[in-house]
Amino acid sequence: MFRSIRRVSRGGALGASLAFALVAGMLATNADAQDPLRISIWGGSWKDFTAENIGKRFTAETGVPVEYITGGTIDRLNKAKLSKANPETDLIFTTSHVGWLYASDDLYERLDMAKLPNAKTIFPEAIISPYHIGTWSYVYTIAYRPDLVPADIKFASWNDLWNPKLKGTIGLPDFDPSHIIYAAALLSGAKGAKDWTMGQKKLLELKPNIKAFYSSDATSQEKIGSGETPVQVLLSGNAYHMMSQGVKINLVVPKEGAIIGIDTVGINKGSKKADLAYKFINIALDPETQTLVANKQKMGPVSPQAKVDPAIAKLPGMFTTAQQWKEQAIVIDHKQRSELLGEWRKWFTENLIAR
Amino acid sequence: MQDRRPDYFAWFILPSVFLAVALTASLASLFQFSLREHIPGSLQVGGFTLGNFGRMGSWVYLRVFTDSLALSACTALANLLLGYPLAYALVRSKSSLLKSTILITTIVPMFTGDIVRTYSWLVVLGKNGFINGTLKAAGILDSPLELLYTPLGVTIALVQYSLPIMVIILAAAISHIDIAYEKAAASLGAGPLNVLWNVTLPLSMPGILSGTVTIFAWTLSAFATPQLVGGGKVNMISNMVYQLGFSNFDFPFAAVLSMVALALIFGVLGLMSLGMRRLERVGLH
Repeated sequence: MFRSIRRVSRGGALGASLAFALVAGMLATNADAQDPLRISIWGGSWKDFTAENIGKRFTAETGVPVEYITGGTIDRLNKAKLSKANPETDLIFTTSHVGWLYASDDLYERLDMAKLPNAKTIFPEAIISPYHIGTWSYVYTIAYRPDLVPADIKFASWNDLWNPKLKGTIGLPDFDPSHIIYAAALLSGAKGAKDWTMGQKKLLELKPNIKAFYSSDATSQEKIGSGETPVQVLLSGNAYHMMSQGVKINLVVPKEGAIIGIDTVGINKGSKKADLAYKFINIALDPETQTLVANKQKMGPVSPQAKVDPAIAKLPGMFTTAQQWKEQAIVIDHKQRSELLGEWRKWFTENLIAR
Repeated sequence: MQDRRPDYFAWFILPSVFLAVALTASLASLFQFSLREHIPGSLQVGGFTLGNFGRMGSWVYLRVFTDSLALSACTALANLLLGYPLAYALVRSKSSLLKSTILITTIVPMFTGDIVRTYSWLVVLGKNGFINGTLKAAGILDSPLELLYTPLGVTIALVQYSLPIMVIILAAAISHIDIAYEKAAASLGAGPLNVLWNVTLPLSMPGILSGTVTIFAWTLSAFATPQLVGGGKVNMISNMVYQLGFSNFDFPFAAVLSMVALALIFGVLGLMSLGMRRLERVGLH
């Protein structure tokens, strides 16, 4: 009797344990499903657009929520480096050349292109490296307030920034001088980024025309909006945002072309949700998402299949065809740019920013 | 019977030791970064070198230090000139309305963040801002004054930012002066200015010294105000540290600038301590 009771008890205990394990397993599976995909991205409209147009669709298709961890380009890079052993995020959005810094510091997984069917049709310029891939493009180019600069200045060429009539009017970004450095080098006869020193003399000649340096998108918008720097080397998306706020701004693509910028995405090395991360990237590259990129954000789609509103396709810096990429875009080699950026910034800080 | 004496070790000494260790570790980390080689295009630092300190000899960086020292000195002086009358009136005035007005205008802005205050200076100092708009409307100016992105504009914003601290320090010093000294001088025929110059000012020297040095040292590490109002054209030490560290990834040299700035502030505080001791010796404390 005792033995049988004991057997029954053991059987009951075994059953209870199995039931507990099953419930616990189910709960664990459910918890895993609720564990979000973590994405490192800029704040503001960048995060809002991504959440609204990519994140929501991703969650609807996978049931996995998305958590966005926002910050500036360099702050996020530093954080990723500090948490290398135990990454805080699964996906990282950043600019193409900064993505190379992630890659060279071994912070990215190598991408398996077979898991990204939508990548097969994107512009070849958007395949940045084996580690990161373009999601949208924009340009840094000349923007000006027509009501605040002399009427006879037309900005047909980058060279027009050197016009003495523009004394004390220009605003430039201090966090990335590569646009103006490259433009000055091209005007001085350079053939590529490695010849950038050819433009140093010309850059120094621009000093009297520089009114201020801006350190973020917000300060850029504040300076051109208030008219303190009526001429800027400006991100096209920021120009379109200010125009939508009623500020009269003309954005031009000079005859030499506009400096292209490509925002990219890569998977954190050590991410435990790599498959979900591929799914997210694939949605980002989907022609439907790319249509929203162009029509809602006024950013250049990386997919030629995006259905861009014809009025938006005409905007300066909106490159929607292979021909436009070839004729109007100045693409600085992304890897070379990442390698030279430190040297460029040092020279720029010591010679143009410091008195 | 239970011992009800406070446990000083647990409540005070342990947290102090913890804080001291954390700060020392941070400074030690900063120091080791200053001795490491910068690898362009990488976040990693290289081997040990003393070369970073050699770069301090460059006029570009010395200029940032001299500019920062000049801006800090101007700010401290302007604070003293503006803050002393305010502090004096705050302590000595019998009008509660005047006291309240001084308190509201000088102290309350301290409770708004420095970014908010600095952004409001962009509106005030801009080409179409309050100052230029008023002067143009009054027919005094044809073309706007250049105030933004100039040392003058940065100094104005820094003075407003630090004035509450100066007023508090000076008011504390003036309130410790026995009013009987001033009454005695007045009863012996000294006029109000004479009393202020020969009695009140010398007796408030400890407050003047500590207020000036505090504002000077505080301003020397200013970041947000020169960053926004200076627009990259007026750079102080912190702005250059930010440029080098967070834009150029040159953490080693950014650490060198930080170490030198820290040494400078310690030097200034040392001089203040020396000055205070001399004041104590001549009996002005």
